[in-house]
Amino acid sequence: MMKEQLATFRIQLEEFARKHKNDIRKNPAFRSQFHEMCAKVGVDPLASNKGFWAELLGIGDFYYELGVQIVEICLATRPHNGGLINLQELCILLRQRKSDREAVSEDDCLRAISKLKVLGSGFEVISVGKKKLVRSVPTELNKDHNEILELAQAQGFVTVEEVERRLSWTSGRAIDALDTLLDEGLAMIDDGHRDRKRRYWFPCVSSNSTPVADT
Amino acid sequence: MQKLGDFKLPHFFNYPPYFTLQPVRDTREKQVQLWKDLILDYCKTQKIFVIGLEEDFALFSNPVIERSLSHEAREAFLSALVSEGRAEWLNKGHRKCLILWHRVQDWADIIFRFVKDNGLEDSVMTVEEIRSGIESRGTELHGIDRTILMRALRVLEQKGKLAIFKGTSADDEGVKFSM
Repeated sequence: MMKEQLATFRIQLEEFARKHKNDIRKNPAFRSQFHEMCAKVGVDPLASNKGFWAELLGIGDFYYELGVQIVEICLATRPHNGGLINLQELCILLRQRKSDREAVSEDDCLRAISKLKVLGSGFEVISVGKKKLVRSVPTELNKDHNEILELAQAQGFVTVEEVERRLSWTSGRAIDALDTLLDEGLAMIDDGHRDRKRRYWFPCVSSNSTPVADT
Repeated sequence: MQKLGDFKLPHFFNYPPYFTLQPVRDTREKQVQLWKDLILDYCKTQKIFVIGLEEDFALFSNPVIERSLSHEAREAFLSALVSEGRAEWLNKGHRKCLILWHRVQDWADIIFRFVKDNGLEDSVMTVEEIRSGIESRGTELHGIDRTILMRALRVLEQKGKLAIFKGTSADDEGVKFSM
């Protein structure tokens, strides 16, 4: 009987959770597996901040706090990256804030962000090329913008010429898209290279922690 | 983290676009803020009081990323400091800039504490002694720019804490404290 089976699973899950409470708090891989187990039996431990799961694990708090920190970091970095941040970089910044007792994985971030999304806070994770970017502003990126961001992932910047050449666009189309990204605060110009070509840099595809040298 | 001598450079210093004046207002504001803070910080730790726009000021270029600030950018950032009262142009041509990493009032407070700490409340000292005498060693006053020192002394003079007078030799200004 389905119902009985599910009830049994729930009990087993609860026992598991009780037994491994510390591991779940401290170990991101463990945590991720735990979520998968829950999903299989239709349990969402984050469904509410109160109730059995939240109390047992305090895990609701963990994601809630994470969500708050993610919002803070996105707001703090917005002047630099225009409201689009590399998921990897976000995690690095989060780890710098948290004590070592509780490690944070990209999976944790994604879960916390999906919770934020439910709150209607305008947070979204988008995929650009190989990377995941967290968007915290209402700016919608169209296909042209996405393609430029993907192109920029290689070196952290693009030139108009490069966009025209690699994407087979007209000069007008390239400049239009780049100017929009510039206006939205997602790009910064760089006129300092000795080859005199203007470069458009995208903070959201670089990691702040590594210095950039382009010769 | 990259260093300039002992000084730890912030991350933005290694990101090429920050060396180009940004056209978009919000981005430019952020850029100016970062540069203002860096300039003040650096000058404070290195005890630099004057920046010459056409001279080789260390922060104006970053050889690691092969970028330098244009004259326009240098002027923009320093002008922002001037607007905030943290710097002053020393001439009309905006070639040299006096950096007030301590405001004049702060310097006045420092001098006041210096006098108290050394029991000099009723003494007489030359201006030169204040900035290079034995008592000044190890304090922030040591090596202070003369222009700034005179300004700070005048602030205290206005409050009746001291009197400035010309000394016996032509170039020897002195101060009589009465704190």
